[in-house]
Amino acid sequence: MILERLGKELLFFDGGMGTLLQEKGLEPGELPETWNLTHGDEIEEIHRAYIQAGSDIILTNTFGANALKFHDDGFSLEEVVRSAIQHVKNASRDAGNGREIYTALDIGPTGKLLKPMGDLDFEDAYEAFKEVMILGEQAGADLIHIETMSDTYELKAAVLAAKENTSLPVFATTIFDERGKLLTGADVPSVVALLEGLRVDALGINCGMGPDQMFPVLEQFLHYTSLPVIVKPNAGLPKQRDGRTVYDVSPEEFALDMQRIVEMGACVAGGCCGTTPDHIRKMTESCRGMKLQPVTEKNFTVVSSYGQSVFLGEGSKIIGERINPTGKKRFKQALKEHDLDYVLREGITQQDNGAHILDVNVGLPDIDEPALMKEVVQELQSVTSLPLQIDTVDAVAMERALRIYNGKAMVNSVSGKQESMDKVFPLIQKYGGVVIGLVLDEDGIPADADGRVRIAEKIIAEAAKYGIRKKDIVIDALAMTISSEPEGAKVTLETLRRLRDEIGVCTVLGVSNISFGLPCRPVVNAAFYTMAMMNGLSAGIINPSSEDMMKAWYAFHALMNLDANCERYIGKYAPIQSEAKASAGTMSLQAAIERGLKEDAHNITAVLVQTQAPLDIINSQLIPALNTVGDGFEKGTVFLPQLLMSAEAAKSAFAVLKEKMDKSGEVREKKGTIVLATVKGDIHDIGKNIVKVLLENYSFDVIDLGKDVPPETIVDTVLEREIRLVGLSALMTTTVVSMEETIRQLREKAPWCKVMVGGAVLNQDYADMIGADFYGKDAMQSVHYAQKLFGTES
Amino acid sequence: MEKKIREALRYLGYGRNAADDRTYALIEDAFANLKKEAGPRSVSRIFDMSRTEDGRILIGKMNIESRSLSRNLAGCSQIVLFGATLGAGVDRLITRTSLTDMAKAVVVQACAAALLEEYCDECQLSIGEELRKEHLYLRPRFSPGYGDFDISYQEPLMRMLDCAKTIGLTMTDSYMMTPTKSVTAVIGISPVEDRCPVEGCEACDKTDCAYRR
Repeated sequence: MILERLGKELLFFDGGMGTLLQEKGLEPGELPETWNLTHGDEIEEIHRAYIQAGSDIILTNTFGANALKFHDDGFSLEEVVRSAIQHVKNASRDAGNGREIYTALDIGPTGKLLKPMGDLDFEDAYEAFKEVMILGEQAGADLIHIETMSDTYELKAAVLAAKENTSLPVFATTIFDERGKLLTGADVPSVVALLEGLRVDALGINCGMGPDQMFPVLEQFLHYTSLPVIVKPNAGLPKQRDGRTVYDVSPEEFALDMQRIVEMGACVAGGCCGTTPDHIRKMTESCRGMKLQPVTEKNFTVVSSYGQSVFLGEGSKIIGERINPTGKKRFKQALKEHDLDYVLREGITQQDNGAHILDVNVGLPDIDEPALMKEVVQELQSVTSLPLQIDTVDAVAMERALRIYNGKAMVNSVSGKQESMDKVFPLIQKYGGVVIGLVLDEDGIPADADGRVRIAEKIIAEAAKYGIRKKDIVIDALAMTISSEPEGAKVTLETLRRLRDEIGVCTVLGVSNISFGLPCRPVVNAAFYTMAMMNGLSAGIINPSSEDMMKAWYAFHALMNLDANCERYIGKYAPIQSEAKASAGTMSLQAAIERGLKEDAHNITAVLVQTQAPLDIINSQLIPALNTVGDGFEKGTVFLPQLLMSAEAAKSAFAVLKEKMDKSGEVREKKGTIVLATVKGDIHDIGKNIVKVLLENYSFDVIDLGKDVPPETIVDTVLEREIRLVGLSALMTTTVVSMEETIRQLREKAPWCKVMVGGAVLNQDYADMIGADFYGKDAMQSVHYAQKLFGTES
Repeated sequence: MEKKIREALRYLGYGRNAADDRTYALIEDAFANLKKEAGPRSVSRIFDMSRTEDGRILIGKMNIESRSLSRNLAGCSQIVLFGATLGAGVDRLITRTSLTDMAKAVVVQACAAALLEEYCDECQLSIGEELRKEHLYLRPRFSPGYGDFDISYQEPLMRMLDCAKTIGLTMTDSYMMTPTKSVTAVIGISPVEDRCPVEGCEACDKTDCAYRR
């Protein structure tokens, strides 16, 4: 078993395959995996050469063998994988000389980008990996080696597929650049956090760079990981010579650098692109017998996303609490209406205000929480790189979110109740994560610090049974309001201090509970927040839009020398002094909108509503302003950014008016409901979003189905809501096909519904050809068409 | 005025009209944000090309039928395959901005397109400089989707450059590039120095394009 030797003695991988195949005649763009069946002898010859050069682990020629990348009508995936493994087995038998040679099923990326940035579904990627891995295990692979991964999300799909469908050891390596980042932006600690959370057996780096360029990245790996590290560099950086790609690090230089790499602490060494049996022979000759650096346990508490990692225990981190319906009418409404944009904006605002992690809670009665949680987590990760904190009591929702999450999530929460621990810990064990432990159990919340610390110890001990380490637990010391618990704050603070000093565990607190039932709560909250940080609070769950809380946070870090040269503090508060507030006193609302002044429009409206009726303001100021700008746009004197600045200004004015009207029960008559969508296969939605903003300005209700929308979804929505007008957008000739299909289905199932279309490749002829009712060459055209159709032209 | 600002204005529909101060402010802001989010990368490889008797172009395993590409590559026996991307961070920035302010979003979108073109021009210039030493000269870059050069050639082109691995550029089933702010192109290598070597727009047959210079 390879695991008995891993980390105890130096093991050697083989070297490059692709470059050798090209020398043997593989053409650019040809699938190397077909060679397992067409040129089996050549493949075995390469394997044999590596075994003779001293490799212990041989990779099968299956890097691109997955259903998404491997399209060859001649051969099945099963034939390819079986023959690939057989070639390694044959070579081991012929050249192994009785040495134990391990057959590693080589798994490379699919070549597709996962949703939401690309079009490959996470579970489809998972299925593609799963298929090959099951075939590989059946055919006799000794381990699975996932390599050259540049996207943490795809990496997660691959590792999960291996863990859930095979019992083989899993190695995983990623491709870093000289800046120490993956192509998709992840840094070393976030990759380590993800892979350790998913419990791979060894991890590391391959490809991308030559051995000496890898030193700094390797150093980071060794600093952060508690697992054995694999290093497989290229033979230098690729260069072009006579139309060929060449690598110019010689076997001797390679061996010397690899020696250094083993000295630094790598446990498994090999080569990638451009390395040959000669490189591997020199490496094994000069490194064999070297003593390994011991693999040691590291103690970082870290959560990550696809693009960044956040360390708890360094200063105090801010967990934004606003994505949560509790006590928020508007948020509840957004969840019920499936208004995800509202939820996403809450996330963006908190990030802009300084949050490090975002708590995500979408639990409401009568809502499909698991489905919504999964969707919100995925959508949030398309707009923010902050790590997320999955906040739910629903185990199904928790699992769905943890599975789909790109990174190592924070989980809120487990308690000292046995039932809770039985439910939550298996999920953390499987998906990884940093879990918040609440200091309460079957007997409730202990009134004193002793009791709370005891529960924390119980949680940590129970977690250990699942192999979950203390560093992956953060204890919530629980704040009880001082209006009913006079000693509440003192007990919480003592608990925090003892957890830090005696138990050595990170801590978290929902800070604002402390003032429940008191007037002027921010005063108490901010003071308590400072005291809690002083007693070791690793992360506060707070509202980052609360100025009092943020002032306390910035001041604390400046005071405690956690903010070098008070830079953050100065950056935050110095500009405020100089910022002179422009006076909006003399401008009319109409002028503010025409000039596209969003904040002024908002402020002026707020003053106006005190004396005028909202509908009067709309008719006398807003509509004339919109008409002026719209006319200008059509005459060519106003341009798109100006049109949209005015639209945004109008929107901010409408928001004020709507609030007022909601209070008085007054209703602004809606002109009609329009469905908008970017068609299936198309992922560009900016044009559609422009149309949406303008239609809303002109009092239309818009149901925005988003991008890449299947025809069926559009038809179903039209039927369900009896929609009279649909707007479709497509950017490319390849997606106009879906537009045509959508129109066809609409004609069949909803013949009353009109369809307007727009997008870069469309023109009137094209629109006529696919049977659209109207072609809008710009956004204003679609407004006019909608007005005509609903008979509201003013 | 800087070229990329001029280009951004063109994408925004200003044509030759001057923009107002607030639009300029948005443009400045957009380029600043893009600087933070963009991770520009490129890859290029030189391949031999040949022609069949009926005028098809052969590059590696690609067998291309395209009159406009053929015209563009007249007299060439080698080509550069080129791929470039601004990275997924830019897509996220555009999505994020779309949620909070559409005026800013269209400006970021236009500036990203201008930045990408500028980056491609720079890459092309440096590839051209190397070749110039060997008395070889580049033609304008020509992308799948231009003229009658079918968009479906995107797939083999990206495979030959190994774009997913080298620069993180991939493609959807409908041939859209992801990240979206990306370019792939064929650039002819000619022993004769002629025409402007960088600009791609003029080389395109789509003369009714709204964004044509």
